[in-house]
Amino acid sequence: MLTRLGAAGEGYVAPSLGAFLFDPWVHWTSFGHEFYINKVIGLLFFGCLAVGAFFLLAFRNPKVVPGPLQNVAESFYDFIRNGIGRDVIGPEGVKYAPYLTILFFFVLIMNLYGILPVAQVPVTSRIAFPAFLAAMSWVIFNYVGIRRKGLGPYFKEIAFPPGVPKAVYVLLTPIELVSTLLVRPFSLAVRLFANMFAGHILLLVFATATVYLLNAPNFSKIFALVSFPMAVILTGFELLVEVLQAYIFTILTAVYISGALAEEH
Amino acid sequence: MSAQPTGSPSSEANAGWAVFGTLLAGLLVWGGVGYLLGRWLDVAALFPIGLLLGAAAATYSVYVRYGRSS
Repeated sequence: MLTRLGAAGEGYVAPSLGAFLFDPWVHWTSFGHEFYINKVIGLLFFGCLAVGAFFLLAFRNPKVVPGPLQNVAESFYDFIRNGIGRDVIGPEGVKYAPYLTILFFFVLIMNLYGILPVAQVPVTSRIAFPAFLAAMSWVIFNYVGIRRKGLGPYFKEIAFPPGVPKAVYVLLTPIELVSTLLVRPFSLAVRLFANMFAGHILLLVFATATVYLLNAPNFSKIFALVSFPMAVILTGFELLVEVLQAYIFTILTAVYISGALAEEH
Repeated sequence: MSAQPTGSPSSEANAGWAVFGTLLAGLLVWGGVGYLLGRWLDVAALFPIGLLLGAAAATYSVYVRYGRSS
């Protein structure tokens, strides 16, 4: 449909990859590499400061009877500690609650940028950020598993599911290794990235289509009555997806840690 | 909220992600081996055979890890 719209003269230009590329605010060269700070990096810094400042301020001077800020921060922390740490990993999951909490709120704000005015681009729609977070989850769950069980037994447990005829291991072992060591981090990163990327494109299509249709010379203007409500509805839908994806990323990290700690039955 | 992670309802749902990963890995590994062998030996049928073998092995692996315990 978009190409048909574009067929008549200049026409509607659908949002492209260019929507994810921003001009550098500053750039410099050091150690032979070029460094940029653009909008995405600016949002990243601001998000880190916001999340850090929030929890630092909330817990700087903790009281037995918490003030309003500490109250909010504590209920957030309890939600992750009990809802993810304890429920997924078990009693020792409490130990991982600080990391999971920070991970959740970091991913959450990086996602929410997608619908925040002024920001209006999810930082996690650039693959580098989900990829790095997934790499961190990968390092953590492997490290935790190796420390608990030892290098050999940990990989033995991954590679050789118990109770299988020996000859079948020829088929199963490569699958188990690839599934745990490659597919896990890859799917973790791509799931978050693709959701944010697609969601941002979706919003852009309906928002730019509304502007385009309003400026149309003929009766096509009335179709803006369809695309504008869609842009609003999808913004609400994106809010849901952004919170959900932050939650899924955190819970899967917890699931992987739990899997690395669990004793094989 | 049980102490054993395998028993809690949330981890039951999360097993779904692990199952998905295993099935995907099965197709990737043995489908990939089939594809490469097929190219090397010039036998086109090895690619679909590899995919089927991978799917079957992954399904068996899922059965071993998640099917038998319950």
